[in-house]
Amino acid sequence: MDEPALIQDAQHGNLEAFNSLVLAYQDALYNTALRILSDEDLAADAVQEAFLSAFRALNSYRGGSFRAWLLRTVTNACYDELRRKKRRPTTPLEPETADGDEVESPRWLSDPNGSPEESLDQAELEHAIQHCLENLPTDFRAVVVLADIQGLDYTEVAIAVKKPLGTVKSRLARARLRLRECLQGFRELLPAAFRLEEKSSI
Amino acid sequence: MRSLLFRDMENLSAYLDRQISQSERTRLEIRLQSDLVLAAALEEIRQTRALLQRTPQRRAPRNFTLKPRMAGIRPPVPRLVPVFSWASAVAMVLFIFTLGTSLVGQFPFGATAPMLAVAPNGIGGGPPIAATMAPANAAPATLVPAPPGTDKTGIGTSTPEAYVASVPEATLPSARSVIQPPFAQKARNKPLSLWLVIWPGLGVLLGALAVFIRWLNLRAFQRKNPLG
Repeated sequence: MDEPALIQDAQHGNLEAFNSLVLAYQDALYNTALRILSDEDLAADAVQEAFLSAFRALNSYRGGSFRAWLLRTVTNACYDELRRKKRRPTTPLEPETADGDEVESPRWLSDPNGSPEESLDQAELEHAIQHCLENLPTDFRAVVVLADIQGLDYTEVAIAVKKPLGTVKSRLARARLRLRECLQGFRELLPAAFRLEEKSSI
Repeated sequence: MRSLLFRDMENLSAYLDRQISQSERTRLEIRLQSDLVLAAALEEIRQTRALLQRTPQRRAPRNFTLKPRMAGIRPPVPRLVPVFSWASAVAMVLFIFTLGTSLVGQFPFGATAPMLAVAPNGIGGGPPIAATMAPANAAPATLVPAPPGTDKTGIGTSTPEAYVASVPEATLPSARSVIQPPFAQKARNKPLSLWLVIWPGLGVLLGALAVFIRWLNLRAFQRKNPLG
């Protein structure tokens, strides 16, 4: 994929070129939105909104990491969704058994790749991380998702969250400390390979 | 166990990401060799970071590609379309104008007495109105010389038909000219009625052409952007 050429074509209104970029980055944007919002439907909405905004604002892109630029649009879309959610809180409708217990999402348990044990391990890990991410303040959450889950460097994260490098560095350190504390609570639930030290030295 | 300053934790976090300067890095590495608490803290942050990096990546549940309608892209309008549309509108305006003019010309607004002579017979088959009125108005005085055996006003004739029949042939053309205007007007209206057909026809034709060109253009655009 010749990314610069596609971006240039898209800047001239070529939707086909832009859609090639969408296909290349949609998984990254979706995962970012999902980790920030903890809701699949809201994440999908945010990603769609982000791509739409990106297409409209494509002429404001002045080079640099296109991935970081796109992740900035999805982070903004996630902040918008969170604000909207805060204004109109909703109760998720989880299916229940006859005893009134919540039925776990089939997606939670099913994974076409790997053995059932591996899938379960992955699901437990995802659940633990998602739970701990939800307990972080939004600004910290966005930084840690972009840096540790999406693998952006500090400069790209700074572009994505529109904050100075020093702020990114500080927020990331705080977020990691909080996550460390939270994940220790899941120590028994986490698969052996993912277990953290029981006693923190920090 | 000694607790670490946040500043140290921040440096350890940045150290793992290779986001500190070379001099800071060297200083921290020297400290790590001697400070076990600092080294343990570094290991914990490393584990946390590794755990986060292993977060399962989900596939997008669907494609988020944009459609032309979503992106607000519309097919460009060919130049001929506005030209034809305006020409069609002008043709229709001209049609309305022509129609109006023609209608005004057909109604006898402000018609004078001679126009009444148009009626060949009076209402209910009676004598012609003009003929009955003629003596009272102007005809005897201007048009018709009195035939022999009548008085000069023509009142003495038995019926109006007899009066007209008694008028010498030479005097009739002038009288007929009073009767003829409707036929003359009809002749004058002939080109006008032709325009009453041409203008709407032209208007509809140009409008249809504009719609057709637009439709062709839309089809070509949809073929080029099948998602739209």
